[in-house]
Amino acid sequence: MTRPSPRTVRRLIGLMLLVAWEATPRLGLLPELFLPPLSKTLAVLWSDRSLYGAALLVTLYEVAVAMLIACGVGILAGAIVGGVATLRNLLLPVFSSLYAVPIVILYPIFTAWFGIGSESKIAFAGVYGFFPVMLSTAAGIRTIDEQYLLAARSMGATLPQLIARVIIPASIPTVLAGLRLGGALTIIGVVVSEMLTSASGIGYLVTMNRTILDSPRVFAAIIVVLVMSVAFDILVRTIERRTLVWQTAGRRTSSADAAVPARLATA
Amino acid sequence: MSRAAVILIRIAILAVFLGAWEVLPRAGIVNPMLLPPFSTVLLTLGEILGRADFREAMAVTTAEVLIAFVIAVPLGGAIGVLAAENEYFGAIFKPMLFYVFSIPKSIFLPMFILVFGIGFQQKVAYATFSTIFIVIMSASAAVESVKSDYVLVAQSYGATRAQILRRIYIPSMMPILLETLRISMIFNFTGVMIAEMYASRTGVGHMIANWGENFMLPQLFAGVIVLAVAAMAFNELVRTLEARCSTWRS
Amino acid sequence: MQHVAQLNPAVEAAPAAAVEVRDLGHIYAGRDGPVPALSDISLTVPTGRFVVIVGPSGCGKTSLLMMLAGLRTQTSGTIMIDGRPIATPDPSRVGVVFQEASLFPWLTAVENVEFPLVLKHAPRDERRGRAEAMLNLVGLSGFGGRYPHELSGGMKQRVSIARGLVQDPPVLLMDEPFAALDEQTRMTMGHELLRIWSQTSKTVVFITHSLTEAVYLADEVLVMSARPGRILDRVPIDLPRPRTYKMMATDVFGALRERIWQQIRSTP
Repeated sequence: MTRPSPRTVRRLIGLMLLVAWEATPRLGLLPELFLPPLSKTLAVLWSDRSLYGAALLVTLYEVAVAMLIACGVGILAGAIVGGVATLRNLLLPVFSSLYAVPIVILYPIFTAWFGIGSESKIAFAGVYGFFPVMLSTAAGIRTIDEQYLLAARSMGATLPQLIARVIIPASIPTVLAGLRLGGALTIIGVVVSEMLTSASGIGYLVTMNRTILDSPRVFAAIIVVLVMSVAFDILVRTIERRTLVWQTAGRRTSSADAAVPARLATA
Repeated sequence: MSRAAVILIRIAILAVFLGAWEVLPRAGIVNPMLLPPFSTVLLTLGEILGRADFREAMAVTTAEVLIAFVIAVPLGGAIGVLAAENEYFGAIFKPMLFYVFSIPKSIFLPMFILVFGIGFQQKVAYATFSTIFIVIMSASAAVESVKSDYVLVAQSYGATRAQILRRIYIPSMMPILLETLRISMIFNFTGVMIAEMYASRTGVGHMIANWGENFMLPQLFAGVIVLAVAAMAFNELVRTLEARCSTWRS
Repeated sequence: MQHVAQLNPAVEAAPAAAVEVRDLGHIYAGRDGPVPALSDISLTVPTGRFVVIVGPSGCGKTSLLMMLAGLRTQTSGTIMIDGRPIATPDPSRVGVVFQEASLFPWLTAVENVEFPLVLKHAPRDERRGRAEAMLNLVGLSGFGGRYPHELSGGMKQRVSIARGLVQDPPVLLMDEPFAALDEQTRMTMGHELLRIWSQTSKTVVFITHSLTEAVYLADEVLVMSARPGRILDRVPIDLPRPRTYKMMATDVFGALRERIWQQIRSTP
């Protein structure tokens, strides 16, 4: 007997989870307070769609601005730190030891400074996403093969040409891996901060409905967050595939480099 | 640059940072309500370290972190080794794990609260949950990092399974295992902090969230410093061990 | 009209020696003070010659090549390429082919070949035409759209040679270009290189570890000593051209290889 392919098994597992989500509360194995049936959750999500849509817009706005900050500042700082040997030796060890600090403890400071509106979420999620983008950009620039630079110089490349035509394309794979992780972290950062202290956004809907024990609405918000995260992941993977057609054996490298930055993703 | 120069410059950077933290609020350039001067924070730090309720909160948090760590690391390690050893099992679950990484695990906090309440168990359970995936991934990466060449050489000299485990796997995996411990602790600590800040009556996370809400910034900064120093101290400890273990690695 | 152009004094003044090195010396700063890497190097490579440099590892062959390419600056002495000193890389005078991995993986074969022309802001049609012609010359027409990872080791080096030749420089420098290839491919590539050389009449300076390859390819083999690198012997290779694989089995070939081997072995 041949075993079904891993992909089939994964789909089966996914299907079983969905069925279990529906059946367990219906059969009374779990109280509906703990786990409302999937159909009920989806029905609530549909009937409250304008409410959830408005909350999602707030969250997406915060995510977008935070991502812009995290990626922009992260790439810039990473390029400088990775490109200048003195700064690298001086700062990289400091950054990676700062990375051990649970960044979430800074959030109360941000709410005290910026209030409980979008600004504090953007600041927090921006800081949250900044580190992996910066670290992987620095790594990407540091690990460029010397041969490429030498070859380009032998062909008479000037420094701006070296940067635009060799250093940037050569570091794109690592930078993209960092952007994927940084993006995922800004989403996490926004949702976490909305759950902790806020008055709008998807995370707020989770917390607010939890407080009033309205489980279907809690789970409806959870579904929205899950869909948002998975959609982001698929989007970035597609961009990566499009951009990196030249990479050898795409699948293998992508899972290998994912393993490294994935270690950086907390929460 | 020599080692001493690097350390001196780092100290200088830290001094400038702390100096600015002290001078800017005192000179009124930034609002001292929002950024209390460093000396004020240090005084508050001394004061809260002496308070019984803070020390109790520290004890609770430490216990949560340690217990979650002791559960998540062996459990995740076992699953990770299984995923690496059994190709079929690994092929099924590894891609799922990658997706789990991009999901904010905090959205499942309400479920933990419903099941465990807002006490000690809920913090431990949530921290375990938020740590276990990284342990699984690192552990399977550790197993896979063992070069099959080494195993083959050992087998050709007639090594038993136990000998291969003891002489090949353990030493080759040691640096990555330590790295796993270090990274897991970061996740674990973050998990406990989020859980305490979200809904809790005890713990340092709960205290700093409270201080933030009540605008008690000297206390808040002091609490953040305590937590940050604890996190970095553990991190550096494991890194020192890592450096010792990996001297033979290139 | 063409005759008039050939009588142009600038063209007429084209030097007989494509590469002219005088009293070259190089000292680099090591961990324990200055280390002499090259000393007393003088050599003349007439236009159109194929010169191979051999020598023990670390004798400074690659350093010498880097200086000829303008990628590194010597401590003393002069280097003239095509009658003018070279201080910075000048791809219109010198093309370089590296050992391996120097094709940019994010560019296709044809984009790699036209890269030097892109740097010079050549118009798209012109540079694409030149690049295709070069790929054709190295026997890779039809492979232009492939990425390096889709090419074999030998094909990558062909692309690399095409890239070195695309600006039609009089001098081609090659740093162990076939060292990473398997023996069979290496032989084929040597043969191919001679074909390309005879079609383009470039001056070639070629570095290798393989004595067979050296004798097979060269008009003249320069033997270098261990550090500090200096030229121990100049061995003219009088084998007729075109060279054939059969020549490798002849006594003359064996004697030449033996002479070089004795030189290298005797260096401390």
